[in-house]
Amino acid sequence: MDKAIVIEHLSKHYKNNRGIDNICLEVDKGDVFGFLGPNGAGKTTAMKIMTGLMQPDHGDVRIGGFSILENYEKAMQQVGCIIESVAPVPYLTAEENMKMCARFYQNIEDKQIDWCLESTGLLPYKKEKTRNYSLGMKQRMGLAMAMVSNPEILVLDEPLNGLDVEGMVEMRNLILRLAKERGTTFFISSHLIHDVELTCNKIGILYEGKLLDVRSTADILKEYASLENYYLSEVDLSVKS
Amino acid sequence: MSSLRAAYINEIYKLSKRKKLAVSCILSVVAVLIAALIVGVANNFMGIRITGESEFSVLVLSVLNYTLIPLFTIFVCIDMVGGEFSNQTMKMVLTRPVSRVKVYLSKALAAATFIIVNLLFIMVTSLIISLFIKGTLAGIGRIFVAYVASFFPLFVFALFTMIISTIFRGTGSAFFLSILCFLLCNVLGLFFSQLQSFLFTTAFNWYTLFLGSYINFHKIFRMFMILVGLGLMFFGIGSYLFDRKNL
Repeated sequence: MDKAIVIEHLSKHYKNNRGIDNICLEVDKGDVFGFLGPNGAGKTTAMKIMTGLMQPDHGDVRIGGFSILENYEKAMQQVGCIIESVAPVPYLTAEENMKMCARFYQNIEDKQIDWCLESTGLLPYKKEKTRNYSLGMKQRMGLAMAMVSNPEILVLDEPLNGLDVEGMVEMRNLILRLAKERGTTFFISSHLIHDVELTCNKIGILYEGKLLDVRSTADILKEYASLENYYLSEVDLSVKS
Repeated sequence: MSSLRAAYINEIYKLSKRKKLAVSCILSVVAVLIAALIVGVANNFMGIRITGESEFSVLVLSVLNYTLIPLFTIFVCIDMVGGEFSNQTMKMVLTRPVSRVKVYLSKALAAATFIIVNLLFIMVTSLIISLFIKGTLAGIGRIFVAYVASFFPLFVFALFTMIISTIFRGTGSAFFLSILCFLLCNVLGLFFSQLQSFLFTTAFNWYTLFLGSYINFHKIFRMFMILVGLGLMFFGIGSYLFDRKNL
């Protein structure tokens, strides 16, 4: 199967000895990959390196076959992302922010911008300045901006942050819809195990900077009562070893 | 090139939506009007001839070149680099299919555009006032050359400010350090003449080389090459630091 994302021996160490250590991972095209781990496990660090916001100490990431270190523009051409908090330009409207993002791609029409805003429930507020947006609205805005180029791969770091229950369900349904209808590959980090279980077809567990295991959700649920049980058992094994 | 163009258009768009641009234009007009008032009062009521009317635009340039224009340039450069790092909007640009060098170049080009617009605005305003005072636009060619020449050291200063803004995350510290460096370079240039060739602030009045009856092309060329060298060096350092910066 074609690989959408290939992470090769990725390492990044901070001065406080935290970070990530020798992560190797492959995500197939069309997968909805869940990156599970506690706070401080290194999920955001890995995702920042994947999207070029941070330089690794060692290793590389290939997106659609292009190295993020050697061929950044081509690699990012097919990626949309939300990393940590979403910060649209506060003194511009949602529509203006979307247009700024759209300029980096060819042939993105207003229709596509409106579709992104409609899918995330922001169309009625597109003329409002984003400084007036709530945390949840900014999170939706982040997803709309990530989707603007209709990317093949979406890298989402805690996409459900700040969303209410209704918003979480909407976001989950949108992810599943995009994966099914457009074949979009997702790389999602979260600590909300239940949502990951409902959304992702493949799970990777990151703990203290190390990738403990990567398995399909279906296989996990054959063996364990829930994803939570699997997660706790993997972490327990890691601590004991 | 399309990604550079997109990044540049976005920078200009953001700049046009900021109040700083409008404020800088308004303050520039106010400063020119105050200068006109002072010159008028000194000429007509105190018998002091500060300048001839045709040189009014050059007088305005000589004052604003060391005060308001560098100040606005600092504001804009820090806002574009340090400001975007601190409010996290930089992520929005850096996660697009555009290399960091192009993002940095687009910001430098936007700073250059801002300086050009600011200088143009001041020149036009001062020329209109000169026209009202004297009724003619004598020496407009020389005035234009002086304003064009003054762009280069200001742009080098903008590139220097962008380096400081890339190093410091806080906009306040970058702002004060930029001002401090500007003042320090001016003071050092006054007291240590042997350092003048290395200080970009020395070139802030190089436009005067174009205004005399004898034009020293050799000196102009030397100064121009120093500015080009400093500009390339500052851009190189700035873009390297920008490229290596982790968010």
